[in-house]
Amino acid sequence: MQPALIVENLSLALGRANLVDSVGFSVAPGEVLALVGESGCGKSVTAQAIMRLLAPALRQTGGRVLLAGQDITALPERAMRALRGQAMSMIFQEPQAALDPLATVGTHIAEALRRPLRDVRDQVLQMLAEVGISDPARRIDQYPFELSGGMCQRVMIACALISRPAVLLADEPTTALDVTIQAQILDLLRRLAAERRTAVVLITHDMGVVADIADRVAVMYAGRIAETGPTAQIFARPRHPYTSLLLASIPRLTDAPKSTLAVIEGRVPTPAEFGPGCRFASRCPLADDTCRAATPPLRDMADGRLSACFHAEQLP
Amino acid sequence: MTAPVLEVTDLAVHFPGRTGAPVRAVDGVSFAVAPGETLGLVGESGCGKSTVSNAVVGLVPPTRGSLRVMGTEMTGATRATKHDIRARVQMVFQDPVTSLNPRMSVGAAVGEPLLVRGLASGAALRARVSELLEEVGLRPEHAQRYPHQFSGGQRQRIVIARALALRPDLLVCDEPVSALDVSVRAQILNLLVELQQRRGMASLFVSHDLAVVRHVCDRVAVMYLGRLVELAPRDALFATPRHPYTRALLAAVPEPDPVAQRAKPRVPLAGEIPSPSNPPPGCTFHTRCPFATERCRQEVPAWRPLGESMVACHHAETLA
Repeated sequence: MQPALIVENLSLALGRANLVDSVGFSVAPGEVLALVGESGCGKSVTAQAIMRLLAPALRQTGGRVLLAGQDITALPERAMRALRGQAMSMIFQEPQAALDPLATVGTHIAEALRRPLRDVRDQVLQMLAEVGISDPARRIDQYPFELSGGMCQRVMIACALISRPAVLLADEPTTALDVTIQAQILDLLRRLAAERRTAVVLITHDMGVVADIADRVAVMYAGRIAETGPTAQIFARPRHPYTSLLLASIPRLTDAPKSTLAVIEGRVPTPAEFGPGCRFASRCPLADDTCRAATPPLRDMADGRLSACFHAEQLP
Repeated sequence: MTAPVLEVTDLAVHFPGRTGAPVRAVDGVSFAVAPGETLGLVGESGCGKSTVSNAVVGLVPPTRGSLRVMGTEMTGATRATKHDIRARVQMVFQDPVTSLNPRMSVGAAVGEPLLVRGLASGAALRARVSELLEEVGLRPEHAQRYPHQFSGGQRQRIVIARALALRPDLLVCDEPVSALDVSVRAQILNLLVELQQRRGMASLFVSHDLAVVRHVCDRVAVMYLGRLVELAPRDALFATPRHPYTRALLAAVPEPDPVAQRAKPRVPLAGEIPSPSNPPPGCTFHTRCPFATERCRQEVPAWRPLGESMVACHHAETLA
C-alpha cells in the first residue's frame, strides 16, 4: 500500500546550527507512528516543517515531503493553504491555547470545512458526538472557556478530522491532560485513525503513550533518528543505546521500589556542540573513536528495523 | 509509635470564588508523616495536592484544621514559633528554572538559608556550601557559577541542596521531576532515594505520576476534589487498591511496555472532574464512579480503616 506520508532526508537549520539532520520516515493509512524524543530533539519542528508552519528563523535545508505520493515540498503557499486542515491536519499540546477564545465550538469546526456553520450544523453535531462530546446540541454554541481541557482537545480533534484528512500530525496531544482524560483521548485517536484510515504521526516524549497507541516508533535524539521500527520490537529489544538507556531509566509499576534507576550521564548537546560523529557519543557507554569521528548511518537490522549505531549488534 | 514529624488533621483551605461560593481546594484532609518516612500524595490537576503542600510549608493559610510539625501546632502560632518551625520544613518546587534567582550565584543561593538564620558565615559558610553541593552530586567549584550555566537536572540538584541546608526534618517535594526530561528524571529520583536513605529524613512527595510515587514512597495518599479517598502502604495500594478512583488512576497510567499495556482491561473513567466550588453531594466521586449507588449520591463516605488501608468509600469491601 502506498504510504499516506513520506518524509525523506528532512534537514532544518537555525542560522548555522543543523537542528534536524536527514530525518526520514513514512506512515501508511490507518497507521500510528510515534515520533518520540526529549525536548529539543527536533520532533515538533519536524512536524511544523511537514505542515510548512516553521518559525521564520528556521530554514529547510534539504529533503522532501510526499503526501499520497505527491511531492509537496515546492508547492506555493497558496496550494499549501488548500492542503492544511484538508488533506493534512495538526493538533497541538495546549488545547485551550490553540482554540480562538472568541469563536464558538461550532464555528471552529465549520471553519475546517470552510462553510458557514448554519450550512453544516448537522455534520458538525455528528462529529461532536463522534469525538465523545456529551450533549452536542448545547456544546456547539459554547466558547472554549466554558469547556475543560479534555473537552477542548476533543473539539480540536473534531476540527482536525471533520474534513477526513489523509494525515494527522498530533504534537503532544495529551501532555497537558490528566491521566484519566489522557486515556480517553488516546482511545479516541486510536479508534478514529482505524475507522477513517487516517495516518497519524504522534509526537510525544512519553514512552507509556507510545506503548499504548503506536504501531511503529521513530526515536529521535539531537535532531537525528536513532532507531526506528515496530513498537513491540523497539521495546522488547532496543537496537540503539539511547533507546535502551531511556527505557531502563523510567520507573515502572512493576519495578522494585527505591531500586537504582539506569541513568544517562550528562545532558543533550546543544546544536553548537554537535560534532562530526554520533550525537549520542558523549553520553554513550559503547562510544569509541569511530563514533566520535563519523556519523553512523541508519542501517537495516534485518528485522524491519533501522538503527543509527555502529555497535547495534553489541546490545544485549 | 514514634511521634510524627508532620500531623495534619481536618485541614481545609478555601479560596474566595468569583461567583460567591468558595473554591474548596482542600476540604478536610488528615494524615501524618512518621520520621524517616516518605508519604506520596497523588491526584490529578485541581485535586488540591499542591495546596496541601503549600499549606504545610506555610505558603497558604489554612481555613480550618490543624498542622503540627514535630508536635508544635502551626495554625495560630506566634511569629517566633513559626520562624523556628519553618526551618524544620523545607521545600523543593517543580520548576528549577523559576525557583532559582538568576542573579544569585549557586553558592549564594545554597548558603542563603544558613546566612539568614545566622548559622554560618565566611569560611564556615563556604565549607558548608561545598559539602551540600557534593552531597547532591555537584562540585564545590560550581558555587561560583550562575543558574543559567546549568542544565535542568543540575538546577534541580541546586534547589535540593538549598532545601537541605538547614538539615530539615521534613522535605516537601512538589512534582520535583515533572519539569525534567525523561533521561535526567532518573538522576534526580536516584538522588532523592539516596538522600532518604542517607539522611533518614521524612518527606511529603506530591506528584501526579503514579510510577514515580511508587518508586520513592513508603505510603501513598490519593486525593480527589479536595479530599483523601485512600491512604495505604505502597505495596497494598498498588496491589489491592480499595477505592474505585485509585483503581481507575492505576488503569489509566500508560505503562512503557506494549505487551502489558495492550493486555490491560480498559476501564476508562467517564466524564470530567467536577468544580471544587460546587462539589457534588455525597461522595464527590459518584459522578464518575462505575459502582455508585443512591447511597453514594447522598451520604458522604466515612474515612475508615480497611485492612492495611484507610479508605473513603461505601462499597470498598464489595470491590475487593
